[in-house]
Formats: sequence, structure tokens, C-alpha cells
Amino acid sequence: MPRERLLPRFGDSRDEGTAAWWAFDISATRDVIESFGESKPENWIELIVGSIRIADVNQNIVHLVGPYAGRERMIGQPLIAYHPTESWPMLADLVMTALANGGTELTRAVTSLAFTDCTMRLLADDANPDILFLSVDGKVFENRTFWTVRASEQRYRNLLYHLPTALLQIDASAIGEVYQGLRRSGITDLRRHVEENPELIATANRIVMVTDANARAADLLGAADVAQLIGPVCYLFEASPEAALRVMIARFEGRRSHADTMRLRTFDGRLLDVAITVTYPMPPERLDVTLISLEDISDRLRTDAQLRQLQADYSRAARISMLGELATSIAHEVNQPLSAIVTNAETNLRWLSREVPNLEKVGQLTARIAESARRASDIVQRIRGMAARREPERVPLDLNDVIDEALIFVRHETESRSIALVTKLGDRLPLVLGDRVQLQQVIVNLLINAVQALALAGATHGRIELETADTGAAVTFTIRDSGPGIAQEHLERIFGSFFTTKDDGIGIGLALCQSIIAAHGGTIAVSNHPEGGAIFRFSLPAAKA
Amino acid sequence: MSNLPLIAIVDDDDAVREALFDLLQVEGLSARTFENGAALLGDAEAEGFDCIITDVRMPEIDGLELQRQLRARGSAVPVIFITSSVEDSTRARALLGGAAAWFTKPVADEALLGALRAALDGRMSAGAQPDD
Repeated sequence: MPRERLLPRFGDSRDEGTAAWWAFDISATRDVIESFGESKPENWIELIVGSIRIADVNQNIVHLVGPYAGRERMIGQPLIAYHPTESWPMLADLVMTALANGGTELTRAVTSLAFTDCTMRLLADDANPDILFLSVDGKVFENRTFWTVRASEQRYRNLLYHLPTALLQIDASAIGEVYQGLRRSGITDLRRHVEENPELIATANRIVMVTDANARAADLLGAADVAQLIGPVCYLFEASPEAALRVMIARFEGRRSHADTMRLRTFDGRLLDVAITVTYPMPPERLDVTLISLEDISDRLRTDAQLRQLQADYSRAARISMLGELATSIAHEVNQPLSAIVTNAETNLRWLSREVPNLEKVGQLTARIAESARRASDIVQRIRGMAARREPERVPLDLNDVIDEALIFVRHETESRSIALVTKLGDRLPLVLGDRVQLQQVIVNLLINAVQALALAGATHGRIELETADTGAAVTFTIRDSGPGIAQEHLERIFGSFFTTKDDGIGIGLALCQSIIAAHGGTIAVSNHPEGGAIFRFSLPAAKA
Repeated sequence: MSNLPLIAIVDDDDAVREALFDLLQVEGLSARTFENGAALLGDAEAEGFDCIITDVRMPEIDGLELQRQLRARGSAVPVIFITSSVEDSTRARALLGGAAAWFTKPVADEALLGALRAALDGRMSAGAQPDD
């Protein structure tokens, strides 16, 4: 709320340059004084001063006792929040006298911690009976400013010391000078400079000093006390010299802050994962400090890793269960090339047992045997890939290839049920970054669902369409079946864990599909086609070329 | 009918189909191959084969349906099934439909050729009967 300044009329002391003045709102004060009756209560001073609110102040008051946010923050606040307590008795007496005398100007010499030869002048405002002006005049003690600064420093130290975040105060002025020298000699790329002059990191570790730290920092660093932390910063970066370089580069490039994660060796020999935040000094740098905050994220990283492991185990269990479900199909896929091999080998023996063996034919059939054997081996390889315990990876993949490989697992399922499987794969799709096995798992899962939906509906000559497309930023995969579609009330919950409409299902398939796609930065959605059948569509962000 | 029997091989798997073709070739038997039942039924000579060796599971028209449609057309051609699935119910249906033999993949060459010869012999003698 913008406020007009209430200008006091103090005759010769109207000069804002020397006087500090307040405008008091005393609208509640008269009632307080009337309530005293014959004799003043013991706490009359607090009652009077406490009834006054601040109507306005000048800059001198703001400088002497004001808050960081300044005049605006003071207006409307109780006077006791800012007025120095040592002057309250004098002030209460002045206000009481002024109100009793009906607006006379009053001047009184007072003792003050802030001024020598101090006078207080009280003046009523003709225009507004609820406003009193108080001017405080005198020579300002230098001491008061000194105390104010010291008190503010003390507050800062208290704050810093008791914060639950590990904080280190750093004096990096010495390295600042080194940097200035480097800039003067034309160096702009600190990383390259350090490659040629690796000793600079050691120098920085030696001349950059921890000047203060808080209790939490000592605790985190496994130090006996804060004193152990005071000195060169080298202990912070002992386990992560590369992090030290990144912190140095950020400062060299004039950034205001830098956040990083690194390994930290504690004084008692533990190795922690920490998040480190460095705030660099604002210019003029010699008047400011660098602050480093540390957060132990070892537990978080460990939990993250455990969670990732659990998810990997979980999806592997689902894959193995899926392989079990597809055992007949898989056996068929392996049996086909084996059957061709057996027949080809027997035919070969027949050619060889002739009086004049037909070696040309034998060579041809032997090549086919090798080809079929490779095909069987590929299938076994894929099954092993599905069943193996392995870390998920992110490699560039052509989604069309992933689909081709996934189809091997379900081809027999669709053929044996006379389901027409139609693929419309987009040309030259952008690659996606992903885990081949996990994406195969999603596709196989969606395919099995489609096959089961068709089987459940008793559909003869069902149809499943697979489509991939490039939408620019993403690659989409769409599977549509000619089954009955998804009941409206199930559409919302279909990706939820343990949601199933199958008698023998446990409802993890689609939930897993969703978590796998989400882990790939993609989305998956379900809908019903207006002409019937369910549509599942997922999209994955295209890998940047 | 000529003295050289003609055999149809129906299987959707290229490698299996070609392997069977070669086995018959080494024994001096002529054969034609088809990718599925529909392809054979659509062929002009569909009813001119002396024996059909077919897979059971195939897209669109499977082996059983192929046999059913041939019978419906009045063809008594012997049908030998080779399948990789071991479903007794399907086997029973095939045999009830007049299948000449039923094998599970991988099939032994002696067994298949034996069944084929028996089927062809039966066909030849059956075909020669009216003239005898």
C-alpha cells in the first residue's frame, strides 16, 4: 500500500538530515490513559507505549532501529516492536503530558544510547488529533552503529550455527586474486588451464579457507568440533577432485551459485554421497563470503538404488511369468528350425549314401542347416535375454526392431488362434533411448492382452493391428484389437496395480507396462476405438540426434 | 492319373517346407509347396495331388480346415499331418476327418516316407480298382 509521508512541522529541526523522527498513531492511547483513573498502574509505561502504533518514520529511524525491509514494513506496526526500550519511560511520560496539555509542543533532554546531547520533541498534528510527531535530535554515537552491526552479526552467526543444514563459511578471496591474474593474462577457459596446470586445484585447496562452520557441519563431517573444520578446504574435496574443479569453474565464470553432488571423505573415515551447494560472493567480493552447504544424500541414493533393484527384480519376475505363459509358443518357435535341421540332415545322409553322392545338394542343405541352427539359437538367446537378471540400460533403439523381436514370442499364439496380425511400421523412425528387453516386455504384454481379449470374446478371425509412427518429438506405438473393447468403468483403473478382469490374472502386467514406459520418459494410454476394440498407445521421446 | 505321384507340402515355415521338399526330392518324388491351406485351395490343381503333407497350425486356413474343405469338395486325397503341438484333441479330430497319418515335429524321415508310400500305394490301388 503506497503511503504519503506525514511531514512533521518542527520549525528549525525540520531538517531530515540530522533528526530522527517518528509519527505516532495514538488513537488508542487516550482510552488507555483514561482507564488509569486516579492512580497510574505499575505497568503504565508498557501500557502507554504499547498502545501506540507507528504511523510513519524517516530514514534515520529506519537506519537506527528499522528492519531489513525498511519503512514500509514498520508503518502500522506496534511501536514497541522497534522503539528502544531504554527510552520507553521518557516517551510514556512525554505522551501523557502532551495529551494532558492538549497538544502543546514539548521538548525534553534525554539520555540515549544512540545520541549525545539528545533532545526529544513532541508535537501534535493540527490536522489529525490522533497523530503525534516525535523528533529525536542529537549527535549520533558511532558506538550505536557499531553495536547494531555487531548485533546483526551475532544474529547471523546464531542463525548459521543452529541451522539444521551443514554450512561452511569460506574465505575465497585469495583464489579470487589468482583468478583476476588469470583473466588479465587472457585465460577464459579454466578447465583447459587446469588441464595444463593441474597444480591449481591443490593451490586452491590450500589457500581457500573455511573460516566458520556450524554444528551440523561438524556432525556431518565426523569432526570432533567446529574448530577442526577451520582451515584450508582441502578436506572437503579429497575424495572428489573433479567436483573441486567444477566449483572453481563456476566461480571463475562468475556464477552466483553452483549445485553438485560428490563423494566426501569424513574426518572419521566414512565415505558419504553429498549434495553440495556453493553460493559465491556478490560484488564487491572482498566484503562478502562464500557459503557452502552440504547435505548427506547417501541414504537417499541407497534407497533409490534399492528401489531401482526392486523394480528390476519385479519386472524380471513378471517377464519369467510371461515366458511361462508363452511356453507353448516358444517351444513351437524353437521346434520349427530344429525340425528343419533334422529333416535336412537326414536328407543329406540320403544324398551321401548314394553311389555318386550329390555334393552340391549336400552343400546347399548344410548351409540351410546352419541357418536354421542360427535361428534356433537366436530364439534361445532372446528367451535368455528375457529371463536374465540384468541392470536396465539406455541404448538407442529402433522401435520397429524391438517389435520384430517381440513378435517371435507371440507369433504362435496369434497363428494358432487364426488371428490376423497386421503391422504398419513407420519408415525411418527416430531412435529412442531405452532398454530393449523392457520395451519388448511391454509390447509382448500388450500383445498377450489383445490375444486374450479376442479369445475371451470368442472371436473367430480376430485381428490385431500394430502401428508405429514418428510424431516429431516422439515415437508412438499403437496396438488395436478387434475384441469387445474395455468397459467404460475399467478405463480409469486399468493401469492400476492388481487391477484385473481375468480369472487367473493378478493385475501386474499393465501396471508394469506403465511404470516401464514412465521410466523411459514416455506415456501410455488406453481408449476404445469408435468401431470397436481396445487401443493401447504408448509414446517414447525421440533420442536427440 | 500318371504313374508319377505329385505331393503337396503345406507349411507356413519356409525352412520346414523346403526341408520336406528336399527329402522328397532325394527319394525321387515330385512335390509342390504352399505357404498355407488357402494357397493350396486356391490353386487350379488343388484336387490333383496324390498326397498332402501339411502343418496343422497356420494362419487363416489351418490343416484341419484344409482337410475338411477338400473332403467337402469330394476329394479323398490322403492327408498327412506334421505338427509341433501335441494336442490330443486336435489329433483325434484330424484322424476322425480321415487323416492318413499324424506326426510330431521333428519327424523321422523313415517314418514320414513310410507313411507317404503307404498312402500313395493305397491311393494307387484305390484309383486302379474300377479298372480291375
